[in-house]
Amino acid sequence: MAIIEIHDVKKNYPLGKVEVQAVKGVSFLIEKGDFISIAGPSGSGKTTILNMIGLIDKPTAGEVIIDGKATSGLSDKELTRFRHEVLGFIFQSFNLIPVLNVWENIEFPLLLGKTRITKEEKNSWIDWLMAEVGLTEWKTHKPNELSGGQRQRVAIARALVTKPQIVLADEPTANLDSATGEQIIELMKKINRELETTFIFSTHDAKIVEIADHIIRLRDGTVTENRRRGEDVAASATTVEE
Amino acid sequence: MNKVIPRIALRNLSRQKKRNILLGGAIAFSIMIVTLVNGFTGAFIENVSENFAYLMAGHVFIQGSERTASGKKISAIRDDSIIFDAIANSGIKYKTATRSSEASATLVFEGKSTSQNLTGFDLENSGFLRERLVLKQGTWDAVKAPDALIISEKVAKKLNVLPGDRVTARLQTVTGQNNIADFTIAAISVDSSIIGSAMTYVNLSYLNEAIGLKPDEYTSLNLMLDDLKDSAPFADRLYTSMKGMGLQLFDRNQKNESGSTTPFQAMLQSQNKETWEGVKYRVYTIDDVLSQAKQIVIALDTASTVVLIVLFTIIMIGIANTFRMVMYERIKEIGTMRALGVQRGEIRSLFLYEALFLALGGALAGIILALLGMNILQLINFGMDSPAFLIMKNGHLSFSLPPLRAIGNIAIIAVLTLVSAFFPARAAAKMEPAEALRTLK
Ligand SMILES: Nc1ncnc2c1ncn2[C@@H]1O[C@H](COP(=O)(O)OP(=O)(O)OP(=O)(O)O)[C@@H](O)[C@H]1O
Ligand SMILES: [Mg+2]
Repeated sequence: MAIIEIHDVKKNYPLGKVEVQAVKGVSFLIEKGDFISIAGPSGSGKTTILNMIGLIDKPTAGEVIIDGKATSGLSDKELTRFRHEVLGFIFQSFNLIPVLNVWENIEFPLLLGKTRITKEEKNSWIDWLMAEVGLTEWKTHKPNELSGGQRQRVAIARALVTKPQIVLADEPTANLDSATGEQIIELMKKINRELETTFIFSTHDAKIVEIADHIIRLRDGTVTENRRRGEDVAASATTVEE
Repeated sequence: MNKVIPRIALRNLSRQKKRNILLGGAIAFSIMIVTLVNGFTGAFIENVSENFAYLMAGHVFIQGSERTASGKKISAIRDDSIIFDAIANSGIKYKTATRSSEASATLVFEGKSTSQNLTGFDLENSGFLRERLVLKQGTWDAVKAPDALIISEKVAKKLNVLPGDRVTARLQTVTGQNNIADFTIAAISVDSSIIGSAMTYVNLSYLNEAIGLKPDEYTSLNLMLDDLKDSAPFADRLYTSMKGMGLQLFDRNQKNESGSTTPFQAMLQSQNKETWEGVKYRVYTIDDVLSQAKQIVIALDTASTVVLIVLFTIIMIGIANTFRMVMYERIKEIGTMRALGVQRGEIRSLFLYEALFLALGGALAGIILALLGMNILQLINFGMDSPAFLIMKNGHLSFSLPPLRAIGNIAIIAVLTLVSAFFPARAAAKMEPAEALRTLK
């Protein structure tokens, strides 16, 4: 079963007196455990689509179904709870909370909403994540004492701490040099395999796109390509029409 | 509500140190001023009353008023055994009981004259007077003479007298006949306030003779208590006890109709209208006489609250502006938190907590500064002869901060701070997460 279903989703932004059609009727499915890249040039609608999947923005038309649940009718409170329980976020500019240290930043989502884990479970889980992203030594450092790559590792650990089914990353490598960027994507991929978390990341870096198992390419708010790695472009075209 | 929100709020305060120190400092300053005023007024009434109590030798007073067949009123207590029985019956304790007589007199010396209220005590045995009265000239030894007179510096100057001089007093007996008595100046006391300088002390038995009372009679029984605060309950119980023994008494709770008189004056006014037979007693306290001092206290306290609110309105504008700025500075952080699962209400709380911590921090600092200030000011010795003696405690400024006032002031500050941070906080909470995350910062 698909964990994410996007059905004829449209998004218009008012821009003065006219409306910008940022996403013009897009449909696709994402399977559980996928490692997906949403690619496309600037302005093609990557962020808009990720925001709608991430339930931080609402489609003008169409439906976003996550884990079998239609999200269009949910209140802000319900959407927030849903985000907290099902989704993880990684941002282009890391977006760590500056007054919290590395450990506290990772812990932060666990302190929201209702959590049913013991202190010991929590500590060993965070310690595991810190080791996983290679930051055990940096536990008590503040974000401004870390490099960009290190910050993004903290963000990855933070995104995973609630054990979400889906992690969304909008251009997670755009503020990093290409080598560090690749390491970050490789780290995400490793976690994708180990924890079977679905990862969706956007990028316009061709090299990074190729690391994905599944590529959705956008142009001007429409899907121009939707294929698994190994499938050829022609096969993917039929997938879109289905 | 989880604890991470207040924790972040507290740490956020350290992000714009200068700005917050300035705002917190402004809060601290206004709280400090108001606390000092409150502390001063808190002790004011107590000091005035306590000092008066010494000058008048009591906290609670009992006077008798006799009505003769012809309708004349004579102020006298001729037999106090029944009063002491009433005190004993009521089961309440007092420190000292002092018998005194009062008479208004015109003092004359070598063609100069002045009107004075003479207070007759057993001067030789009145310890409280020796404690409070500072002699400028003359000795306590000379006061032992039966015709001794202690006047203040000011009166001495007016009459141009020195210890040893003999002055003549023109006065009226309790029945209203003119009389004359001679006194010897035994001592001249230091002027310690307007009221203090108005007191003129003589020996009770000598004054009694002059005003037509027997040596063991007097006009007022003055009871000194252990604590000034006991005055009103003491007077109430004594009143009930005396009433229970069948004594006639003037109503203790005369409503003050004109609005400008003290309860004591109201009592005297109503007494003039009444008719009775035999002796009727009045029981009153130092507070009844000094209720005007209380009005000053209320005025000062009201003024300080107004000052607090005015100062704070200015600070509020600063807080509202700061928090609007803070909101814009942290837009992206707000968007991040919202994406991670922080609810709108929690974003609002985040800002409100920050404002609250700022207010509490400032207020606490202000109160600590005020307490330090009070302790330092209390160290200064103005001396017992200071013109401000009446409002001081043993010649020192004294403060007493009612805890409820302090808590009230902190509450005012906290509420006003929350109000001024509320609108920026609400705006932050209302922001759509995608919109907040889009901002380039
Ligand atoms: N809030 C908004 N108001 C108006 N127009 C918007 C808004 N958000 C996006 N757009 C427009 O929608 C289109 C798609 O934007 P989007 O940010 O999704 O593109 P993108 O693929 O993420 O681009 P980039 O690679 O530059 O991040 C663009 O034309 C953009 O100008
Ligand atoms: Mg984008």
